[in-house]
Amino acid sequence: MTAVVQAEGLTKYYGRRRGLEDLTLDIQPGEVFGYLGPNGAGKTTTIRLLLDVIRPTRGLVRVLGADSRDPAVRGRIGYLPGELALEGRERARDYLEFLGRIRGGVPASRLDALAERLDADLNVPMGKLSKGNKQKVGLIQAFMHEPEFLILDEPTGGLDPLVQQEFLAMVREVRASGRTVLMSSHVLAEVEHVSDRVGIVRAGRLVAVENVAALREKAVRRVELHFDAPVPKEAFEGLAGVRDLRVEGAGVSCTIDGRPDALIKAAARFTVVHLVSAEPDLEEIFLTYYSEEDRHHGVAEPA
Amino acid sequence: MVSQSLRDCRRALIWWTIGISAFLSVYVNVYNTVKQNPQVYGQVALDKFPGPLKDLMGQSLENFSSGVGFLQGAVYQLFVPFLFAACAMGLANRAVAGPEENGTLELLVTLPVARARLVLQRFAAMALGLLAVAAVTFVLTWLFAEVNEMGIPFGNILAAHLGVYLLGLFLGTVTLAAGAATGRRGVAMAVMGVWAVAGYMVITIGRNVEAIAWLKWVSPFHYYAEGRPLYEGLPVGDYLVLAGATAVLALTAVLSFDRRDVGV
Repeated sequence: MTAVVQAEGLTKYYGRRRGLEDLTLDIQPGEVFGYLGPNGAGKTTTIRLLLDVIRPTRGLVRVLGADSRDPAVRGRIGYLPGELALEGRERARDYLEFLGRIRGGVPASRLDALAERLDADLNVPMGKLSKGNKQKVGLIQAFMHEPEFLILDEPTGGLDPLVQQEFLAMVREVRASGRTVLMSSHVLAEVEHVSDRVGIVRAGRLVAVENVAALREKAVRRVELHFDAPVPKEAFEGLAGVRDLRVEGAGVSCTIDGRPDALIKAAARFTVVHLVSAEPDLEEIFLTYYSEEDRHHGVAEPA
Repeated sequence: MVSQSLRDCRRALIWWTIGISAFLSVYVNVYNTVKQNPQVYGQVALDKFPGPLKDLMGQSLENFSSGVGFLQGAVYQLFVPFLFAACAMGLANRAVAGPEENGTLELLVTLPVARARLVLQRFAAMALGLLAVAAVTFVLTWLFAEVNEMGIPFGNILAAHLGVYLLGLFLGTVTLAAGAATGRRGVAMAVMGVWAVAGYMVITIGRNVEAIAWLKWVSPFHYYAEGRPLYEGLPVGDYLVLAGATAVLALTAVLSFDRRDVGV
């Protein structure tokens, strides 16, 4: 099957400022790809290259098997811009209908269904929409023509938690129907529950592409164990993946890299009364990647 | 797309039409006073005007008390062309540069519409919008000329008004092309403003200055006014030059917009 996105050595400079350097990436049909990185890392640059809003300095990019410069390809894509601007006195519904007509017609019932799901009021003039409601209108216009490929730049910004849940359900439905999603975020927590893979971009470079399950396995998590009696420190020393160990009377705390298996087996020899395991701090996953990158650079430079 | 653009700017179009119409109804109807007091507005009185001011008004102050001279001076010489230019500039900036600056262009360029088509449709919307303003103001001008018994043939007023339209369209297309090439409204307005004002100066104050007289060939006002349509009817050649230059600029707008990054 043809990849939905095929990028090879894709590079974009704005004058001398680097936007994106040497991106090579394939996104397969039917997957949800989370695109992560801090603000200004190159996420939006990548997305705008895919949509032919900006043109690459170097490199190749194909979208849905065609040249990204072909306007017809954009008919098969739904796009939510990161900085969505909706202005004027026109009602949101009229604008959506206008976009729908250019896209070859969208049934009114589908607009209504989407508006209802996201709890959006389409009778408000666009210039008067709140940030959250603008985002809803943006999502509706991205989903309304049921595109093969959805490109969503920071989709959850400004949405309240309930609507975020509904949005994530919509993304899952898209995947279930075999269509493809690329969504960017600067917070992994926003995309981890729906993404199959995530790519992490930093300072214009793609530093990692990971399966989400694998990423979580690599996560550093903080664990606390409480026993019914004081435990000897030696019992927990030198366990695989255990770091920052502290043993104080009947309490043990540490961080673990990857699987908690060794720690659990060591703890099982005593009577555990209480176990606290914080959700993996996903920002820390980022930092782990980033510091590894730095370490590579640190090694490379003196050599 | 065209009708959407027109709907977007219908308020602006209505206000411009009202504004220019109000200007016309005040100024053209002053003619009755002028006609009845030739000693005040006649040649003798006008000779007392300072020379540079007369130059600025071109040759139109001749025969100010005649119908055709009055209409040329009050309407077609300076005020209405510049009102049209300002209106065209406003419309043109709604085509590309305005939406690009406020961010709404991003969704439009990601629709399955080629960029060239987008620009051409927006150009068409501007041309049609301006045509609507021109049509209404033409009818009014003709009506006022009839009411005031100015004795100017219908065809000559139509020819002069067509000139206003073509001039406005040309200057609007200058704005559109500069906006399409740079994405900045300020730049677009500056390019158009300089071209229009300098172009007007060249054929009025500058007409006797040897060093810059040749510049009249690039002044739109040369093709607009020097054929004296109100006196002599349709200056076909001059108007074709204006229309041709407009087409070339529209093509420039298409080509430059098609090859650049949007919204950076």
